[in-house]
Amino acid sequence: MSNWLAVKAVVGRELSKVFRQRGRLISSMVRPLIWLLVIGSGVGSMLQGEQQSGYLTFLVPGIVAMTLLFAALLSALTLVYDKEFGVMRMMMIAPIEHYWIVVSKIIAATITAMVQAAMLLVILAIIGLVDVNIALLLLVPALATAICCAAIGGLIAAWSKTLDNFAVIMNFFIFPLFFLSGALYPVSQLPEYLKYIVLINPFSYGVDLMKHAVPAAESDFSIITDITVLSVFSIAAIVVACWRFSRESVHEPLFHRVTGKKG
Amino acid sequence: MASNFAIRTNGLTKQYGQAVAVNKLDLTIKAGQFYGLLGPNGAGKTTTIHMLTTMTSPTQGDAWIAGQSVLTDPVAIRGTVGLVFQDSALDRMMTVDENLKFAAALYKLPPKQATARIEELLTIFGLENKRHMKLVALSGGQRRAVDIARGVLHRPDVLFLDEPTIGLDLPNRRAIWRFVEQLRKEEGMTVFLTTHYLEEAEACDWVDFIQKGKLQQGGSPNTLIRGLATYILEIDCADTEAVYHKLSADFGQPIWEDNHLSFRVIDNKVDFSQLQKSLGNAVNSLQWRKPNLNDVYLWTVCPPQTGAVV
Repeated sequence: MSNWLAVKAVVGRELSKVFRQRGRLISSMVRPLIWLLVIGSGVGSMLQGEQQSGYLTFLVPGIVAMTLLFAALLSALTLVYDKEFGVMRMMMIAPIEHYWIVVSKIIAATITAMVQAAMLLVILAIIGLVDVNIALLLLVPALATAICCAAIGGLIAAWSKTLDNFAVIMNFFIFPLFFLSGALYPVSQLPEYLKYIVLINPFSYGVDLMKHAVPAAESDFSIITDITVLSVFSIAAIVVACWRFSRESVHEPLFHRVTGKKG
Repeated sequence: MASNFAIRTNGLTKQYGQAVAVNKLDLTIKAGQFYGLLGPNGAGKTTTIHMLTTMTSPTQGDAWIAGQSVLTDPVAIRGTVGLVFQDSALDRMMTVDENLKFAAALYKLPPKQATARIEELLTIFGLENKRHMKLVALSGGQRRAVDIARGVLHRPDVLFLDEPTIGLDLPNRRAIWRFVEQLRKEEGMTVFLTTHYLEEAEACDWVDFIQKGKLQQGGSPNTLIRGLATYILEIDCADTEAVYHKLSADFGQPIWEDNHLSFRVIDNKVDFSQLQKSLGNAVNSLQWRKPNLNDVYLWTVCPPQTGAVV
């Protein structure tokens, strides 16, 4: 692939920044652990009998998915950061179609999210909240969820011109995506009108796919449904993000193909 | 389209809503030429560069770089041009080496070739010992040099320099121009320059002035300067209107700034000492000098207006 070197460079730059900021990497573990150990224990204490110990196990896939969501969206933020600080121009003037920049950023966001999820699973395995085999198994649905989250991030970033704007959109999207995904409670127990929102939330299917890897966690959809929705949404979101990013910069081949416009 | 021209444009136009940033630009720049596009802020210089480098699309018209159209071959064009932006496009939190290696990979240079080229350019720019320093730790001149190195890493056919020395002190500006001259000599690249420092454009083979998106006068700097006047007469006046009325009949409209008048003198036999005596107390001081590109710019882009002087 002729653009491989360029894609590798963009991904490499993102990953080197992630690993350079070790403090940020470690602190990214604090949020999920607080949710799991503080909120999970707190809510669990209100439940009775087996439900009490089962709630923590139920939370594990949701909290790992939350880690993926935050990590991927924050990683996609670098697309806006590069636009705002001018570094994007270094990539825009390179002899690659501009959609490769978005694809590279989404790959980098996916890897970053997976690294953080893997770190969390190691911690959870060490403190005995998850079995090692289940932790390893969780990495498979985590990858599909990470791609979906990175695609959501790419989609949002392609529409954002400044970091301020991105922050607003992050707050507008990230909490509804998380709270209305079935990560904290079974979808079947939600009021009817909220169930419809959960159904149109692509992140719900990522959380659900991860629940399939944890025997004690009750899932709401079939594995086939989860994979189909995640795949279709991720591909559609990546295509739209690439189109949008190419459209605002220059008449790109992809833009020509989609719109039939010739400059 | 024959590719013996490095750059050619045909009716190149860029409109933002009702505002016309560049208006039907027709340019022909030969391969290897050092070309300058000069004009005031907002004249359309950067927009022109952005259209030529496919950073933005034209509203009308077309342009060809080494025979390739900006409308149909944007990716190929980006492989043949280098662009040094008005402000740095480098990542300030990365080292010089990391920035250049990143840029080299974006240009798909194989790692070994990239390393050798980076070495070569850092030596030209005298930055060998800054290689592992973060950009943020370098001086403005050094950062600019790294920016130029980034722009020429892939040995472009055409190098676009968008006000490359803006904000730099004189020694750094001189150093930057030495580097550019060396690159031109060694690599024979066509250079397309925009600058506010017009004395820098006197090294160009050809300059065009642009105002409100329209090309004005153009030519080789020497021809333009010689065509403007033999001397520029600058008078600091005690009675500006008296001096204006006395001299404008002979020398034409001056540039009038407060009590200061500048006239173009075509006739090389004018006796300036005699002229000063004849103006008597109406003049505080009188000087004459050879014209330069700044004068061409002032008379071409900001011509004296009769309404402004009386």
